[in-house]
Amino acid sequence: MTDHSETAVLADEPIPPPTSASEIAEEELVEGSSLWKDAWSRLRKNRLAVGSLFTFIAIVVFCIAGPWLSPWDANTQDLFLGAEGPSSAHWFGTDTLGRDLMVRVMYGGRISLMVGLVATIVALSIGVIYGATAGYLGDKTDASMMRFVDMLYALPFTIFVILLMVAFGRSLWLMFVAIGAVEWLSMARIVRSGVIGLKKQEFVEAAVSLGYSHRRIILRHLIPNVLGPVIVIATLTVPAVMLLEAFLSFLGLGVQPPNASWGVLINEGQQNMEIYPWLLIFPALFFAATLFCLNFIGDGLRDALDPKSAKD
Amino acid sequence: MSAPIGNPQEDFLVLDDVHTHFDMGKDLITRASKGVVKAVDGVSLTVRKGEILGLVGESGCGKSTLSRTIMQLIRPTAGHVWFKGQDLSAMSDAEVRRERINFQMIFQDPYASLNPRMTVLDTLAEAVKTRHPDLKRDALRGRVADLLRTVGLNPTHMKRYPHEFSGGQRQRVAIARALAPEPELIIADEPVSALDVSIQSQILNLLKRLVRELDLTMIFISHDLSVVRYISDRIAVMYLGRIIELGDAEAIVDRPLHIYTKALMSAIPEPDPRTERSRERIVLSGDPPSPLNPPSGCNFWPRSPTPHDERMKHVEPPFEEAAPGHWVAACPFCAPAAPVPQELART
Repeated sequence: MTDHSETAVLADEPIPPPTSASEIAEEELVEGSSLWKDAWSRLRKNRLAVGSLFTFIAIVVFCIAGPWLSPWDANTQDLFLGAEGPSSAHWFGTDTLGRDLMVRVMYGGRISLMVGLVATIVALSIGVIYGATAGYLGDKTDASMMRFVDMLYALPFTIFVILLMVAFGRSLWLMFVAIGAVEWLSMARIVRSGVIGLKKQEFVEAAVSLGYSHRRIILRHLIPNVLGPVIVIATLTVPAVMLLEAFLSFLGLGVQPPNASWGVLINEGQQNMEIYPWLLIFPALFFAATLFCLNFIGDGLRDALDPKSAKD
Repeated sequence: MSAPIGNPQEDFLVLDDVHTHFDMGKDLITRASKGVVKAVDGVSLTVRKGEILGLVGESGCGKSTLSRTIMQLIRPTAGHVWFKGQDLSAMSDAEVRRERINFQMIFQDPYASLNPRMTVLDTLAEAVKTRHPDLKRDALRGRVADLLRTVGLNPTHMKRYPHEFSGGQRQRVAIARALAPEPELIIADEPVSALDVSIQSQILNLLKRLVRELDLTMIFISHDLSVVRYISDRIAVMYLGRIIELGDAEAIVDRPLHIYTKALMSAIPEPDPRTERSRERIVLSGDPPSPLNPPSGCNFWPRSPTPHDERMKHVEPPFEEAAPGHWVAACPFCAPAAPVPQELART
């Protein structure tokens, strides 16, 4: 469609008065293609990202549905059996207490993935709202809000977690809080810088001159436009959070036995890796595969949402 | 500066000695002031209901700042903006926000002035709601369709996104958004400078028609004199934060009084190559002085093509009515320049 066809309409027709409102039927409307839709069609062409997405979904389904299908229980010990290599009964083998490793990997995956998702969602919501508010209001509000972020950044993470554990006792929820409290900081910084860039754009000025409220400008005009990079960061935060959880569990500060996460299983595995290597190999394999998938999905999303930055 | 101020209570829009200064802050170490940019430095102006007032000036002369000051996007440092008898500059932010539906702005860059994540329907419906908050879905949609027809776009494309339109079409959407709250005053800040020349005339004609048929008043800002000459009823020439000449478009174009206006007028190319060859140009020397440190007296003296007269630096020229309705800040020492020969003007 060109400009010429549009202006032909205008040439002779009288201009409708500003108070008129004619009827228009839904079926007549040409459906537009949003930037999200365009990004999705670009993502679908990225084989690595699509492959990773399917692998990731497969791992998630395996972890969630697996335990219902397996005849074994995660915490039932068989001390007579002990650690056995993979067999037709125990596909991944058993650990030193005779528990089925496959079911334990599934349960561990549930916890690892849940930590990854919940902590990321917590970080995302706090970070986006905090960062957008700071960036939009600017000036002294912005300065003091961001100095608070700097202060939290300066806190050593491990000491922070240990302090929390000492004060409130060990629990899974505390770990969500601890990880979320750390991860939202970088999210807030990214959103803030994005919003500061957008604020100078004329469409934000237009929104102000139309008299929209601050709330409306932040939620409808600013946040949707910084969501692209935020989604990418969120996908890359999930593996980072899972690594943190593994690190905490490895130190004994995270998930407590008999519960397991992939981090706990890897920790147990490495203690006996010379004698019973499968105890390390299987959980590490799943963990690494998940991290790879999420990173590839994140990269693919970045290329899809911001085609200018794509290298090819 | 004496100025043609109307009656703030009766006239449509009155600017009364408006100043907009930007404080550059203090040096971190020496605590010395980095100075104050006087972007708008004493502008007085009356805009009549129903007219198109062209505001011209080169980049950096403060025309965009003046437009944002009228819009109250930037609050004036001193002076008053009277709109329909109300002093906008004295209102609180909340009061200004309620008043905004009566004055709207069209921006320069149609690629940046529309939210890329919202359909045209959403963008316009949101703007319509500022005037009619209770309008329901279907009525809202009908209203948006009519707005699109008003600006010459096909209403069946209302569910499209800005990136699916060309530059000229986007500017039409931006115009529709400015019309949506049913304002009485529209400030168009360089609305055609980002567009192709072929599209420019379409948009100009549209704006002209809208002002006439919807009974609007418009302040049209541009650095392009030929565009301003085409669309305006009256023209104000701005230089270094001040208005130096104001009058009917015809008078400003045909009988410019200020040496600066004359130089601007002489820079408009003629479409006919024969008259173009014999066109006389007045060439100004140097760049516009920094508004951080404006020259004293007649602030035009550093660029005057005539030999500098020491007296220029001390006497601030008064803004006087030279002919009926034709005001000029004439400096008695900026003598009318002898036209520069073509050979020199080309270099």
